[in-house]
Formats: sequence, structure tokens, C-alpha cells
Amino acid sequence: MPYVPNTDRDREEMLETIGAASVEELLADVPVELRVEGDLDVPGPLTEPELLSHMRRLASLNRSAGDVVSFMGGGVYDHVVPAAVRKITSMAQFYTAYTPYQAEASQGTLQAIYEFQTLIARLTGLAVANASVYDGSTAAAEACIMALAATRRSKVLLAGSANPATRTVSRTYLAGAGVELVELPIKGGVTDLDALERNLPDAAAVVIEHPNFFGLLEPTSAIGELVADSGALLVASVDPISLAILAPPSAYGAAIAVGEGQSLGAPVAFGGPLLGFMATSRKHVRRLPGRIIGRTTDENGRRGYVMTLQTREQHIRRERATSNICTNQGLVALGAAVHLSLLGKEGLRELAVQIASRSHYAADALARVQGVGLRFDGPFFREFVIELPFEAARMKHELSRVGIWPGIDCGCYYGDMKNCLVVSVTEKNSREDIDSLASGIEAVIASGGRA
Amino acid sequence: MSTATTKLERPHEPTLFEQGSPGRRGFRLPPLDVPTIDLARAIGPEHLRNEPPDLPELAESEVVRHFSRLAELNHHVDRAIYPLGSCTMKYNPAVNEEAASLPGFTDLHPEADARHAQGSIALLYHLGRHLAEISGMDAVSLQPPAGASGELAGMLVVRAYHADRGRQRRKVIVPDSAHGTNPASVRLAGYEAVEIVSNAQGRVDVDELRRVVDGDTAAIMITNPNTLGVFETRIREIVDIVHEAGGLVYLDGANLNASLGIVRPGDAGCDLMHMNLHKTFSTPHGGGGPGSGPLGVKEHLADYLPFPVAARDESKAVGFEYYFDYERPRSIGRVHTAYGNFLVAVKAYAYILTLGPEGLRRVAENAILNANYLQALLEPFYDLPYAGRCQHEFVLAATRQKAGTGVRALDIAKRLLDHGLHAPTIYFPLIVKEALMIEPTETESRASLDRFAAVMKEIAREAIEEPAVVTGAPTATPVGRLDESRAAKELDVVWENG
Repeated sequence: MPYVPNTDRDREEMLETIGAASVEELLADVPVELRVEGDLDVPGPLTEPELLSHMRRLASLNRSAGDVVSFMGGGVYDHVVPAAVRKITSMAQFYTAYTPYQAEASQGTLQAIYEFQTLIARLTGLAVANASVYDGSTAAAEACIMALAATRRSKVLLAGSANPATRTVSRTYLAGAGVELVELPIKGGVTDLDALERNLPDAAAVVIEHPNFFGLLEPTSAIGELVADSGALLVASVDPISLAILAPPSAYGAAIAVGEGQSLGAPVAFGGPLLGFMATSRKHVRRLPGRIIGRTTDENGRRGYVMTLQTREQHIRRERATSNICTNQGLVALGAAVHLSLLGKEGLRELAVQIASRSHYAADALARVQGVGLRFDGPFFREFVIELPFEAARMKHELSRVGIWPGIDCGCYYGDMKNCLVVSVTEKNSREDIDSLASGIEAVIASGGRA
Repeated sequence: MSTATTKLERPHEPTLFEQGSPGRRGFRLPPLDVPTIDLARAIGPEHLRNEPPDLPELAESEVVRHFSRLAELNHHVDRAIYPLGSCTMKYNPAVNEEAASLPGFTDLHPEADARHAQGSIALLYHLGRHLAEISGMDAVSLQPPAGASGELAGMLVVRAYHADRGRQRRKVIVPDSAHGTNPASVRLAGYEAVEIVSNAQGRVDVDELRRVVDGDTAAIMITNPNTLGVFETRIREIVDIVHEAGGLVYLDGANLNASLGIVRPGDAGCDLMHMNLHKTFSTPHGGGGPGSGPLGVKEHLADYLPFPVAARDESKAVGFEYYFDYERPRSIGRVHTAYGNFLVAVKAYAYILTLGPEGLRRVAENAILNANYLQALLEPFYDLPYAGRCQHEFVLAATRQKAGTGVRALDIAKRLLDHGLHAPTIYFPLIVKEALMIEPTETESRASLDRFAAVMKEIAREAIEEPAVVTGAPTATPVGRLDESRAAKELDVVWENG
């Protein structure tokens, strides 16, 4: 039987030790009228080669990034993943372990996550970070919950320019909290400062995304100044790679920085597993959700690591916990730590400069195409929005026939942007890719909407 | 892990931040084949960072050695028994990792059009169907990325259900043996958690439940088998009591491993539940995650599931068979950026197909057999507060040891580490003093169980004859017992160069 070592003889002898005549006798507590009659209607069993052949067939029904020239982003990005990242995250010592409940037998996981926390703190400029949450969206939602508790207020302002996923997940998370959730209108692709100011009184949190869903840089200094005197906490959802060159959230007064960390060493993987990170000041450390790893010593003064401030957490504090999170994204956080170590100070900066350079090259190339315009003129990083003479959905469909995925259709999320595409660029998009995108779009427009 | 003799010779592993050298790096990017932009001009000086973040500077070999040395410090399932109660630390099949590494799965962007994502959507759809069949639910969402997320989504479904009936209710009943995530999820969803005490058999006290349930009861959140490893034999009555009051029954499926092919929560009348793919369905725990906590519901709650829902149209009216249904006006919303931890779903799907119906039942039977066998071997040496046959796990108490020589459950746990074994879950469930909650799982061999029992027996002897050996443990691990209060008091959660 797959994965069950017991033989019939083992079973007999074990039953004898137990003092039971049969396995059936062990099930006596399960009422007979509730028992499953016959077999479950599930497929299998399959042997390993049968299984792999089935799985390969399923996988082959997908068209993946390797087969197409892709400019899909929107929070999940197709970056080069160094082989050493996969090598480390594939080590059974890491991936078959669990939450380090027994610190003395889990120092590897604990130190790696402590290092992850340090890397996130250094990127964001904030003093402390946690061991991860599920993704960037739930990180933003958890930050709102922190701010609601810290300010004892009940209003959250959420930038309408933030990723639709960030907004919809935050809305779901806050549904039970009796919270007034206000989506701030957009002006010129970024947060409307007048609307922010109007709504600011009594707000617990102001959540912005920087760069935002359109790739645009928010007026962070102005936002930071407005929020500073309001009593609300500024929550900045940031792209970790951008932080190699962009001012860190601490510089514009963010009390909490969150973000999606998938771009640090994880594949796009149909959007999961992702990696939510959270950082804050020491003042708010006791409101952070989830695991936090701390450095300490053993009885002989040797350096060691433990889960700390556990009285925040559900297994101790139950209904008064800062969050319900238990299992997090530990292995993805490990991968991010390996990834950042491999790239290092220079490498991450080079990566960010490459992304900025390639995305600007792409924006220029597309803006030159007859009939295409840049929707916004503010500064951007990685992503930008183009406006087409007809619906973006049609452009996407036509270009996919020639193996180009030109970006995300804004019309899915913004009713007045049906002709707009968010184009996303990584270091994997060569000049040739970008040129083929431009010529592809040009051809579709020239033919009146056909590839 | 090192032994007692090598421990002294090996210094601690320095952090990343104490290693490397300026200018060193471990990875080269593809060459930049477009002009480098002037950041100040293109982005604006006000947006730029003054100093680059202080990241380590290491060669690839240094990075790999650092993390490999860290890896050596971990206990893990591939090494030896890891009997954390209610965590179901079963063996993680190698072939599942291979399946989840296929580029067709790893390299597909979540915003890909459905026509280009037929394999992945089909997998989510069929895994959802299989989980529905296994649990007796009608519809399943794979979006919750962990058990606690499934609980929250479930409680929000409960909320939406009552809101649609015109009157919101206030409280959710949670037994005192429940996982901490249960009351935390209840609270997060805006409900009050009302705890009810368990009876002498460790089960829900049905008379007490009758007293507590009223028209303000939104739901009960129940774990079955519960965290004591006891099956709630009166589950039908419990369901009826809550249903008669207009409430819903949420089942915490953390312990579903004991039920595979034997009993389905849906058949017992439960309305909704989460499952843990990283427990029951063999996906690895990743040192803390990623997991996956699919939410299953009965038909009358299906409209509330998180959107989008993986769906199938065999007529291929739109040109392809599998798609995501976004038209879910009564949905609670999304609980994840995309569709949940997709690669975890791939592994669980592979596991179900490998086992088939008979294999799934064998998993449950052997999980129960292994737990009862281990309980029988350990019963003479430790107290067993809830005697009788167990399901997939059981809870011992170190009360005898504590009263005798002051040896606590914590000490026993640490002493197990000295033998290269992992400890059970300790001090949980909260209703058992000095609890040692043991779940061996079906993937442990009899020899492994015998070895664990022999070590536990030896520790019981030590607790009487040489208690200092137990209270002084561990000594064979990379570090000795760590000072947790110092960690909390002198908070150091980020390396600051010293």
C-alpha cells in the first residue's frame, strides 16, 4: 500500500499488543450509521510512472511563460530564479520540517527566518519584521487590523490605485470588523490628495501601493506629510525589488510596510505559493501578526534563536490574538533570503536598474506605435499603462495567437479603462521581446484589430 | 544534528550579515541590452533612495554553504518521527515534489487567459471534486492558503448566510479543546467565541451545549476527531441541536486523516469545513508553510464561497472546458491574491491519485492503528487522562512525573530531542495539564514506533531515577535549552551588526 509501511503481519501483531481483534474494533466510536459504504468515488490508485504521465499531460495543457513572450505582472512577476534558490528550498531539512515549536531542533529554520526578517527590515528601512504571511494582499489586510487596534478607530482608507487583489482581499478580511472602508479616488493614475485629506479625519489606516497597480510612483512625500498629523497609520505596500533604488517606506513616514515577496526567488506558479511580508517600527511590534523569530542564548551563553512574543499569537491568546494566522509561507521566505543573499547589495540594485531601464525602453517603444498612447505621464517603475484604439481584451486575444501576452486588461478592474493594458517588464524581457511586442501591437492596430 | 561531543567543537553559524566581502556577489543577471536610464531624470530624485539597502555580499558557494549548514541544524520528517499532535507530520512523497516542479505548472502566470491555463484550472476543479467526495461536502474552494484562512473564510460564509436571512447573530460556540485558531478566526469574523467545557470523556458535553445554544448562535466550530484524538460519537445530536436553533455547523478538518474513507463530515450533517492539504494530503510543511486550507461547503452555502470558483463546461461553449467563474454576487470575496497555494494543490492531487479509494481508507486505518499501538506501549509509563481507544492521536500527561520529581512535559520533550526524535505537541490541548499530544501518522513503521516508545520509556525511568538528566536536556542538540524570556525581554528580531 503506498506510503504505509505496515504489513498484514505487523498489523496483526500490533492489534495483539493493543488488545483488539481487528482494526474495525478500533473504529467502534464512529457510529455505524455514519460510515462510508463502499469505496469513495475518487480515481486511482496510480503507480509513479502512471501518475507522472498524467501530471505531464495536465501540465502540457497550460501555455507557460517559457512558450510565450509575456508582459504579465500585476503583483506576480516572472523573474530569473537562481538555481541555488531551488537547491536550498529543495533540501528535506527545510521543506519537510514544520513551524519550529522545538527551537533546539530547529535552529536552521529559525536562523534563516531571522535573517529573512533582517533583510526585509533593511529593504523597508523599518526596525522589525515578521516571519511572513500568506501574500501581499493578506499582509495589507493584516496591517489594517494592526492599525485599527493601535488607533482604536474604525475607518480604513484604501488607495483605489492599489492592486485589485489588495483591495478585494482587504475588504473580505475587514467584513467582520464593523469597519468603514473608503476607496480613495484616483487622479492622474495616483491617489487624489484632496480626497485623501477630506477622508483623513478619524481614519485608522491609509493604505497605499507604491509603485501602484499602474506602475506609477505615488506622491509619497505629500501623502506622508498629510497622514503624519492625522493620527492614522500609513501602510505602504511595496515592491521589494524597487526598494533597491526607491526611497524606503520609513523615509516617507510609513508605520507599516507590507508587500508581495514572490519576486524574490519564487516562480509565478499560477499565483501560489506567494509570500507576504510585514515590517513595522518597534512601537508596533507587539501588534504584528504571526511568527516572529528572536535571537537569544542558551544556558551556556551560546547564540540561538526562538519564536518570540508568542503571547500575541492564537495558540496562546486565542480569541484575543493579534491574528488567526498559524501556518505561514516559511519555505518561500527561506527562498527569498537565499535569493537576496545571492543577488546581494550590488545585484539587487542592478536588477532594479535593469527593470527600470527595460520598462522605460518598452514604454518609449510602445508610445511610438501609431494609435498607442501612454495613459499616464507620471514616473513609473516596472509597469506602465498603454491606451489602445480599441478594447484591450481584443488586443490580448489577437496577440496571444502569435505567442505574445501583452499585459493585464485594465478593463477587468476599472470600468473606464477598457482600452488600457498594464504592461509589466522584468529582466527576462529582452530588447527583442519588447520590439516584438511593439511590432505585434502595431500590426494588430494596422489590420484593424487582427493579428 | 551533531552529537554531544561534536557540539563543543562547532561554533554557531554566523549570520549572513557577518559573512562575505564588499563587491562579492552570487548571481549574474542577463546582460542589459537596452540603454541604462538615468534614474534621477526618469524617476525623480525625490523618489530615490539615498543609500542602497545594506544587503550581504556573498559568493554562491558561501550562500549555499551557509544555508546547508543551517539545514543540518533541523529535525525533519525525512530523518525521523515528528509526532506533533494535530499537525499530521506524515512522509511527503518524492513524486509529488516532482509533479509540482513541472514547468507547465511552475511557469504559468495567474493572469493567463483560461484557454492557456486549462491544465491548472482542470487540476483545481478536479481536486475540488475529489475533496468534496472525501469530505461529503458539495463544493470546495482551494483559495484559502492555510487552515486558519479556511476557518476565516468559513466564518465569513456563516456571516453572509445569516445576513441573507435578515438577522445577524452574535456568537460562535467553540469547545475548550479547540485549536487556538478557532476562537481567533471567530473573533476576526466579528463573532464572539463562546467556550464550552468538555465532558469527562473529552467530548462535547451535549447537555451543556443544549444550554448554551440559542437564537443568537451563529454556528458551532467543532473538531472531529477532536484534539484529544476522540471521535465525537454524538455528532448527529450536536448537529441537530445547532441546526434546530438556526445555526450552522463548521467542522475543523485538521484531523481528517483519521476519517478518510471511513466517515464523511458532510454525511454527519456538518454544513462547512476546511481541510489541511499539508496535513491529511501529505504536502510538506515547509518549516512553517506554505500549507493549504481548502474550504468545503454544502449546497446551501455554495454561493458564498470565495470567488473565483474553478468550473467546468463540458460542452466547451466558449471554446474550452475549464474556466473561473467570477459571477458570484453572494461570494464573501477573495481571501488570496490569486487562487491559493496552487503548487500545494498539485501535490495533494498527486497524492489522492496515487492512493485511490482503497489507499485513502488504508491511510486512516493505519493512522488509527499506529496511534493505538503507540498509546498501548506508552500507557504503563505516563498518565492517560482520557482512557480508551483513540483515533489518529492521543494525549498523555506528565502529571505523574511532575508530582514525583518535578519533571515536566517540557523536559520530556527536550529529552526526546537528545535521542534524535522530535517531541510531541506539548501543553495542548489546554484542558490537559502537562499534555503530550502524540500523532504518529500512518507513515511511521512499527520499528519507528517501537523506538519512540523505548525512548519514552527510558525517559520515564530517568524522570524517577535521574531527573536532572531530563530537566537538563537537551545536551545533544546544536544548542542547549534556549532562554525564551530573554528573547522577549531583550527583543532582537533583526540583526544590527552585533
